[in-house]
Amino acid sequence: MPLVRKSAGAQPATTATAAAVLEGLASSSEDIRWAAARAAADLPECAPALAAALPAESAPRVRTAMLTSLARRGDARSAAAILSLLRSDDASLRVAALDALRLMIHGTAELLPALLGDRDPDIRILSCELARALPGETATPLLCQLLRHEPEVNVCAAAVEVLAEAGQREALPVLAQCAARFPDEPFLCFAIQVAAERISSRPPHPRV
Amino acid sequence: MCDFLYRRTGMVFNETKRYYVARRVSERMTATGSGSFTSYFARLRTDAGNEIELFINAFTVNETYFYREDHQLHCLTANLLAERLRAGHRSTGLRIWCAPCSTGEEPYSVAMWLLENWPAVDEHEIEILGSDIDTVALQASAQGIFGKRALMRLSEPLVGKYFVPLQNERWQIIEELRQSVRFSQVNLIDPATTRPHGQFDVIFCRNVLIYFDDASRRVAAENLFENLLPGGFICLGHSESMSRISPLFDVRRFDDAIVYQRPDPRGTYGHA
Amino acid sequence: MATPKTVMVIEDASLVRLYCRSALEPAGFRVLEALNGIEALEKLPGLAVDLLIVDVNMPQMDGLSFLRKLRQSASSIAALPALVTSTESREADFAAARAAGANYYLVKPVAREQLVLFAAMFCGVPPQ
Repeated sequence: MPLVRKSAGAQPATTATAAAVLEGLASSSEDIRWAAARAAADLPECAPALAAALPAESAPRVRTAMLTSLARRGDARSAAAILSLLRSDDASLRVAALDALRLMIHGTAELLPALLGDRDPDIRILSCELARALPGETATPLLCQLLRHEPEVNVCAAAVEVLAEAGQREALPVLAQCAARFPDEPFLCFAIQVAAERISSRPPHPRV
Repeated sequence: MCDFLYRRTGMVFNETKRYYVARRVSERMTATGSGSFTSYFARLRTDAGNEIELFINAFTVNETYFYREDHQLHCLTANLLAERLRAGHRSTGLRIWCAPCSTGEEPYSVAMWLLENWPAVDEHEIEILGSDIDTVALQASAQGIFGKRALMRLSEPLVGKYFVPLQNERWQIIEELRQSVRFSQVNLIDPATTRPHGQFDVIFCRNVLIYFDDASRRVAAENLFENLLPGGFICLGHSESMSRISPLFDVRRFDDAIVYQRPDPRGTYGHA
Repeated sequence: MATPKTVMVIEDASLVRLYCRSALEPAGFRVLEALNGIEALEKLPGLAVDLLIVDVNMPQMDGLSFLRKLRQSASSIAALPALVTSTESREADFAAARAAGANYYLVKPVAREQLVLFAAMFCGVPPQ
C-alpha cells in the first residue's frame, strides 16, 4: 500500500518574540523576512519596524506579507505607511498598497475625505476606488462632494464608476451637473449615463 | 452583479456559469421576496440578512460526494504529480492535503483515484492529510461511513472494491484506506494550526475561501503558500479564482484544470 | 466571411470595459474581458486573441506585471500585441510600459474612434 499515514510534524508552533521579528526583518534571507513580516501582525510593538521596512522591501511576496500584517493592525501609523506606497512610480507597489488599504477601509474611513481631496489626481483616482468598499450611504456623499468641483476628467470617471455600483439617488443631480461640465468628454458622458440609469432603477432605501 | 460577487467573494462566473447564476438569483429573489433584480442586488450588496452567504450556499453544491470535480483529480495524475517528481530535491514522499475535508469524501477520493488511475502509485510513498475546522466532521471522516448519495459517481466495481456495505444503505470505506489517510483539525486562518503540518506537493482547497472576508482570505492564502513546497500546486473550487484573492501564486493552466503554483526560485520546473 | 478579430480588454472598471465593448463590437471585433492580470493569464491560453488592451492599475496584479509575465512565458501568447491604457501620462509611465513589453500606450480617456483605429491597426484589419 503506497499510501502512508505519518504522525504530524514535531515542530510546535512557537510564538515569535519582538526581538526575533526585528532581527528577522533585517535578514538577507527572503524566507526569514517573510516569516518575520507575518509574525509581526500579532506584535504591536513591531509595527513601527514593519512600517519602516516596507518601502525598502524588494521581494514581492515579503511586501505582500508586510502589507497584510500592517492592514491587520489597522491603525493610523500603519495606514500612513501604506499610503506612502500609493504614491509610488511603480504600478505594482501602488496596486499592492491599494489592496491593503481596502482591507482597512472600515478602520480608516476617516482618511478618505482627505485622500479624495489630495493634490495629486492619481491619488484621488485611487481613493475613489477605496470608496467602493464603503456602504452606499457613506460613499455617495463623499463622491458627490468630489464630483461637484473635480477638474480632472479621469478622477470624475473613477468616482462615477463607483457610484454606478453603489450610488444612491442623491447622486443623480450631481451626475447630471458633472455631465454638463464636461460635454466634450465622450467616455465620461457615457459613464454618467450608465451610472444614472443604474441608480435610477435601484430601490430608494433597501430595507434589511 | 457578477462583478460585485467577484470582488466580494472571489467567485468567478464565466459564460457557461451564467445559466446557473440566473437560476440561483431567481431562487434567492423568491426566497427573499425581492420584487425585482435591482432590489435583490441592493439586498445582496448590503449583505442584508446574511444574503451573501445564503446566495453562495445556494450556488455551491454543499453536499460533498466522491469524485466531485474529478477533472482536478485527473489533472493530478495526468500532470501535477509528474511535475512534482521531475522537480526533484525530494526528501519525503509525495504529500497531498485536502482542506477542508468535511466528512472525508475528498481525501478518500484522492486516495482511491491514485490507486486506480496512477500507474506509478506503487513506486512512491504518498501521504494524504484531510483537515477541517469542524471536529464532528473530522470524526465522521475517520469513521468513513457514507450514504448512497456520496457514492453516486462511483461505479459498482469501485464501490465493491473500496467499501464494505453496512446496514441501512450505508457503506464504510475499507480499513486499509481509513488507516492511510490522516485527519486533523485545522483553521486555515490560524498559522498555529496550519504550520505544524509542514509543506505539501498538492493542496486541494475548494469552496471554502469564498466564505471568508478579504482580510481572512489573504491570511489563509499566505498560510497555504507557506504550506506548499516551492513548485507545489494548489487547486481551488471550479468557480473560484486567485485573481481576487492573492498575487502570491503563479497561474498554471492544464487541459483539465486551472491550478495555482508556488513559485520555485530554483528555476523552471519543466513546463512549457 | 473572415473570422472576426478578437480583443481582450483587461480592466477592472466595469464602465471602461463596457465602453470598449460598445466601441469595438459594432466595428466587428469580438470582445473578451478580464478583471485583472491573473484572470487574463487564466483565460488566455485557451483562446485565439489578436490584441490585448491592458489597464495598469488593477487589483492583485497590475497591468505591467501582467505584461512582463506574459512576455517571459514560453507560450504562443507571449508575443500578443498589447496596447496599454492608463490615466497616468508621465514620460516615466510610458517608459515603464515599454520596458514591460507594451506595443503602444494610450492615455485615458480614450475616444471610441481611437480604440477602433488602434484595434484595427494591431489586428491587421484594413482601414474602412
